[in-house]
Amino acid sequence: MHRLFVLPTILINAVIIVIPALFTVALAFFRWDGISAPVFVGMANFHALWGDRVFWTALGNNIIWTALFLTVPIGIGLVVATMLLVARRGAMFFQVIYFLPMVIATVVLARVWQGMIYSPISGVNGMLQRMGFPTLDPLTQPSTALYGIATVDLWHWWGFLCVIFFAALRQVPQEQIESARIEGASFWQMMRYVLLPGIRPTITLMMIMTVIWSFLVFDFVYILTQGGPAFSSEVLSTLAYRSAFYDLAVGKAAAVAVVISVFGLAATAFYIRVQGREFEQ
Amino acid sequence: MKRRTFIMTGTALGATMPFARIARADGAISWWYETATPEQQGIIARDIVEPFNAAHPGETLAIDYRGDQLDNQLRIAMLSGTGPDIVYTAGPAYVAPMAHAGQLLELDDFAAQFGWNDRILPVFLEMGRYDGKLYALPKTYETLGLFYNASLLAEHGWTPPATIEEMETLADAMLEAGILPFASGNAQWRGNNEHYVSLALNSIAGPENVYKALKGELPWTAAPFVAAITRLNDWWQKGYFGPNYFSISTEQMVVELAAGRAGMMPSGTWQFENIPTYFTGDGPEAGFVGFPSLAGAGDPIFPLGVGSTFSIAASSQNAGGAAAVIDYVFSDDAYSRLNTDWQGEWNMPLADLSGVTLGDGVLPLYTQAMQVLAQSVSENEYGYTTWTFLPPATDSFLINGIEEVWLGRRTVEDYLQELDDTFRQEMGEGKVPAVPAR
Repeated sequence: MHRLFVLPTILINAVIIVIPALFTVALAFFRWDGISAPVFVGMANFHALWGDRVFWTALGNNIIWTALFLTVPIGIGLVVATMLLVARRGAMFFQVIYFLPMVIATVVLARVWQGMIYSPISGVNGMLQRMGFPTLDPLTQPSTALYGIATVDLWHWWGFLCVIFFAALRQVPQEQIESARIEGASFWQMMRYVLLPGIRPTITLMMIMTVIWSFLVFDFVYILTQGGPAFSSEVLSTLAYRSAFYDLAVGKAAAVAVVISVFGLAATAFYIRVQGREFEQ
Repeated sequence: MKRRTFIMTGTALGATMPFARIARADGAISWWYETATPEQQGIIARDIVEPFNAAHPGETLAIDYRGDQLDNQLRIAMLSGTGPDIVYTAGPAYVAPMAHAGQLLELDDFAAQFGWNDRILPVFLEMGRYDGKLYALPKTYETLGLFYNASLLAEHGWTPPATIEEMETLADAMLEAGILPFASGNAQWRGNNEHYVSLALNSIAGPENVYKALKGELPWTAAPFVAAITRLNDWWQKGYFGPNYFSISTEQMVVELAAGRAGMMPSGTWQFENIPTYFTGDGPEAGFVGFPSLAGAGDPIFPLGVGSTFSIAASSQNAGGAAAVIDYVFSDDAYSRLNTDWQGEWNMPLADLSGVTLGDGVLPLYTQAMQVLAQSVSENEYGYTTWTFLPPATDSFLINGIEEVWLGRRTVEDYLQELDDTFRQEMGEGKVPAVPAR
């Protein structure tokens, strides 16, 4: 009887995850415009991706994005969360401030940065240019577009990690922290030998999720540059979206989605393995 | 992947079906519309829904606003046979595959019943045909041309250009005077890129060559197209589009033009919506001419564009009611009302505008431009916009690939080669929209 309790979850998962996922995998082997009947083409969509320079640019950008998000926000989040732990005064206030960008809609944040900060017409950038500073809108240069978008996403993301890490740090036994202090540990020694080992499972989880989320990144890229200029900020999900809804090449889009899922599944498998090991210990 | 999969394949299906069934369950004629502001929704209610319902007792028109997801939702709903009665597609490129898939109703009987064959410009009826049968009517037609700041030109003693060469001379003079030649940009809508490609193809390569290429009789790599895209690239490299092209939105283009920071604006007739907002009473005056052709090549060419079309779903349970709605939209009464309240968006291709009466507040420049356009179309002096006549993947590459040319990442020849390859593939798959004979 108790097994019935899992039935709703299984049903929901089957309907909104498993069945669409299986359909997507199947569609990757078809040519389909989303309107007429699909035509089976075997591996042709994957062959087409292999020879598509935009696909490789997008994959490279996803890898750069992952590297950025595995380092910058996690680093800032850890340092600031530790500082909040050490200097407790105002911790609540700063948590709210840091978390605030997370509760604002993505499209609003993106438009604010695009129109009020980066824009050479209506933004801070334009004001600086009129004052004689040779600034550029990073979204308009192929060499900087991806980093311009990442800056916006990092700004809105690191506070979330900071709050998560701060919550985890508060679970580190107080005795360990006190003994380290009595032993004369410096701030960095405290981090290296007491705090970071204490919240390692949380850091691992956040890093695994960062890998998965980085291969799913879509909203900020699509709103700010739509993958341009000249495909320079294209990522796999914007490529899939453009293929499905502009090129009407749903099969190719599904093939891109399968590639995205491979990275997500690899990260998930790695996490499950790490978790299994920790559980055994 | 899971979330993306859900969005791509599941949400639209799940979201549209219940609403579609509800819309039909109440007996109303359903029509899903795209994004419209509250003010625009008010115009539609006042100028279409209320007059139609009043004139057709027993019928009720219900318009459902689906925003910018209309296209995605419509395609999924049509697949499952639960779409609206009136199928409002994103353009002729969608009509052929939908007709091929049996999702649309043939309109020839309705055309005969309501007299559409006489009332609508023939070229537009041709664009809605598939396999010789009529499946769609264009909601509105549009064209590209050259807006300019007339006050700025007068101040400097410049005149609107009549040829490409004159336009280049004027643009060079503007650059020297510290004025941006082209108010242009693609922030928020990369599709703006294709307006400039469309103009170059039609005004430099010429509409006859574009027609041949669309029919597959001339490759897109042919010399006239190389010359056209090379010239467009030259304009970019000379700075006609300015350093902030990728930062400027469609509406900001008009702001730059009205402020006199830019002198000309190659754009579409939809910009007439924005002109009264920024070219106000005591301020600068706006001008509009056809985009010039090469010296000796004749009059300006107006590339013809159809942004959206009307069809009737094959599964409609009230096809007669849906046809009556479409018929009303193509009436003199609806044309007069809509073009008085909302210029640039409801330019239905009526063959005879003598029964149309526009309100006093309509911009004379708009009326004049539309008359010139209707005259050019009736005399077969028109070109082809890429978003209307190219199949989807070719058009998508044309938009995105031109940036690679402008930014020096690809040659003109490579760009046109990939464009041609994509076009040939889609032509083989039967995705090229109908192209009316010249």
